[in-house]
Amino acid sequence: MNPRVIHRSLGLALSGLLCVHVAHAAEDSEHHNMSSEPSSEFVLFVSSEAHHFSEAASNGELNEDAPLIGDAVLAVNHGQFRLFGEFGLSTEEHDLERFQIGYEVIPNTVVWIGRFHQPASAWNTEHHHGRYLQTAITRPSIELWEDEDGVVPQHITGVYVDSRRPIGESSGLHLAAGAGLGVTIQKDGLQELNLLDPDASGRRLSLSARIAYLPNYVGTSEFGLLAAHNNMPVLDHVTSTLLHATNVEQNLYGVFANWSNEPWKIQAAVYDLEMNLTEVGSARPETVVAGYLQVERLLPKHLTAYAREENSDHANHSIYVTLNHPDFELRRATIGLRWDFLHNQALTAEIAKAQRVGAGNTEYRLQWSAALQ
Amino acid sequence: MITGGALWRRHLLGIIVCLLTMRVALAADRVVLIANSGNSVSELNSLEVQKLFLGLTVYAGGSALHPLRNESDQLLREIFYQDIISMSELTYERRLLALTLQQGRTAPPIYKSSRQLVSAVASDPAAISFAWATEVANDPRIKVLRVVGQE
Repeated sequence: MNPRVIHRSLGLALSGLLCVHVAHAAEDSEHHNMSSEPSSEFVLFVSSEAHHFSEAASNGELNEDAPLIGDAVLAVNHGQFRLFGEFGLSTEEHDLERFQIGYEVIPNTVVWIGRFHQPASAWNTEHHHGRYLQTAITRPSIELWEDEDGVVPQHITGVYVDSRRPIGESSGLHLAAGAGLGVTIQKDGLQELNLLDPDASGRRLSLSARIAYLPNYVGTSEFGLLAAHNNMPVLDHVTSTLLHATNVEQNLYGVFANWSNEPWKIQAAVYDLEMNLTEVGSARPETVVAGYLQVERLLPKHLTAYAREENSDHANHSIYVTLNHPDFELRRATIGLRWDFLHNQALTAEIAKAQRVGAGNTEYRLQWSAALQ
Repeated sequence: MITGGALWRRHLLGIIVCLLTMRVALAADRVVLIANSGNSVSELNSLEVQKLFLGLTVYAGGSALHPLRNESDQLLREIFYQDIISMSELTYERRLLALTLQQGRTAPPIYKSSRQLVSAVASDPAAISFAWATEVANDPRIKVLRVVGQE
């Protein structure tokens, strides 16, 4: 992609988002009590990280490990209309991660169009790119974004419905479903549709959904089921030759639990990936199972200790994983300590031992993260 | 010399004065949930109020309600976290951030002056807020939905 096009698009997108926010902020300061006025929220999630790895990843360092990451989030609500944008900027990349226009058809049920995070990810639907809000520095390997060697497509461009319905006096049901253009497979892994330089050619349909029970409608605990179907064409010849496939069809089935009861918090998910790698005259099925369990405990002095165990089955026998996602971690154990030392700011130290195909790695990380409003 | 009837009247007067004084004192200590007097909403339960102040949509009388946070004094802030939203300040702030990130929700506007807050409620038919009872007593533009902590 032409760098001038990137910078022009980037400038336009950023200035557009900021203009909308500044205009609404100015209006809000004068008339924020008027019912017809829109309301807006701008949050800048920033994080800075220092780390040491005993062995570097084969594809170089992931964007997740960039020394400085910013994630600008803008939400504008006007009556039943919604506008949402999330722009990620780091020393490694910049990307309009999400851009959605929505309409709240009934209370707490919004129909969105645009680029969104697929709802069949337990971790990303909870934390998205806001690293300050996830206790750990790193995300589980199975939940990594496409540009971080993730094996599951995480962005869809199309239509998305998100609904939270009350059940009984205080419980609820969270239903979400999305459909649209998915990713393609290229030599660097999965490539999602870039809204700043859209190229829809060759892309096929992706479907994704979740259903979750909320024990407390206004709480953070959720227990649910996940499902997705991704049809991913292999666009470059070298990768197609390596995979012996021109298309990868991936069906995902998952179960997850986010349970929160201070001082404890548990996040767990298990995914079953059923894949079919096809080329003219042949088809090869592959199955990968991957999951994680993260336990957190609040301690005195605004400290939080956490530990996470990730594991997978059959991933080392999957051509899709080993050849197109060589840094996928088959197994990983993580421990960490977070200190919320100032309003919306935290320091976190993390140690992890990871096992990739044919290589092991020990990682030491120190991160400062914040949410600035 | 004080007659029995006069003594009884004095006692009665004393009791009335005492009751009136207690009522003023009680009123001064109460936080009430308030709405614009033109709003048809007559009651909101605790869950609806929690949803509202988390930025989720709550309808009443055919229109979406607008929550306004009253931070005109420290005690009101504490009562908000303890009795209205029932979360610690840290949990509430993180929940608002998460709801912006997850659902594109915006946080309720905050008022640092009770006079401005009452004016805002008076000018917005869909506004819902909370205030000391004495600050909204006898204000025809405001109606009291209930005492906070009593449902």
